[in-house]
Amino acid sequence: MQDTLTIAGRSFGSRLILGTGKYESFANMRDAVVASGAEMVTVAVRRVDFDAPGEDITTFVPEDVLLLPNTSGCETADEAVRTARLARAGGLPEWIKLEVIPDSRYLLPDPVETLKAAKILVDDGFTVLPYMLPDPVLAKKLEEAGCATVMPLAAPIGSGRGLKLRDAIRIMVEEAEVPVVVDAGLGAPSQAAEAMELGADAVLVNTAIARAEDPVKMARAFRLGVEAGRAARLAGLIEEQEAAMPSSPVGGTV
Amino acid sequence: MSTVLVNGREQQVEAGDTVALLLERLGLESRYALVERNGEPVERARFGEVELASGDRLVVARPVAGG
Repeated sequence: MQDTLTIAGRSFGSRLILGTGKYESFANMRDAVVASGAEMVTVAVRRVDFDAPGEDITTFVPEDVLLLPNTSGCETADEAVRTARLARAGGLPEWIKLEVIPDSRYLLPDPVETLKAAKILVDDGFTVLPYMLPDPVLAKKLEEAGCATVMPLAAPIGSGRGLKLRDAIRIMVEEAEVPVVVDAGLGAPSQAAEAMELGADAVLVNTAIARAEDPVKMARAFRLGVEAGRAARLAGLIEEQEAAMPSSPVGGTV
Repeated sequence: MSTVLVNGREQQVEAGDTVALLLERLGLESRYALVERNGEPVERARFGEVELASGDRLVVARPVAGG
């Protein structure tokens, strides 16, 4: 049976979602997306600078890849709702990566405003994927509000520090009835694999790929890391033991 | 001629000008132009019929690279 990820009724063969920020060029980003196998990528929404309009990023995203607009830059629920509605009206998908972040040093999301915005956006017909601190209670509330996923951070955005909040994410995985997407802070494919082994349904990666020496090769490495971690999860990991357990027969030695 | 504000900048428009015409004049024939008029999002399908009025405040946005 094929192992697919389903979010809000849509199936994805890949469990790796890419952010499109921080690449040297849109062409490089496109090549990395292709190498990663990702079927969904995030984009931000910003005012047009008429003095330097630049290229249209959407023309660099492969046709069959779903665009997931985010609400980055929004510090309140009202701002996030406004941005989501603007994106939808303009023709972007009715999916939104909800991020409400009032803090610029650690870029940690505001749980109260995030929940408030999630309720409004779900009622308004959006498929909502909220970025959050890994809080199992908040995750339940977001789920009850009708969010399509919960997306806990592993570590602060762009930090590359890996699964610093591992135990809380593990509880979320245990209790969640919607897909858990580990979003932010993963710095290496091994960390993506660890998240998948822990039971995450998918991971979202941006900086670790975009800022690698070779983003296209790193995109492939993350693809393999995610696939390995998922395969390990399905295979069933052994339980950790305090002491050694011999792999060879203990008796009959010569 | 009348004046509207686009991303905080004054722009001259003529009576009957639509959102679509404004976008064309601004050189934005991109696949996704996101438009808000006086605080309300404008549906893409209505860009060709929504007429601008003097004093309108418009926000023109679009998707950019981001995580």
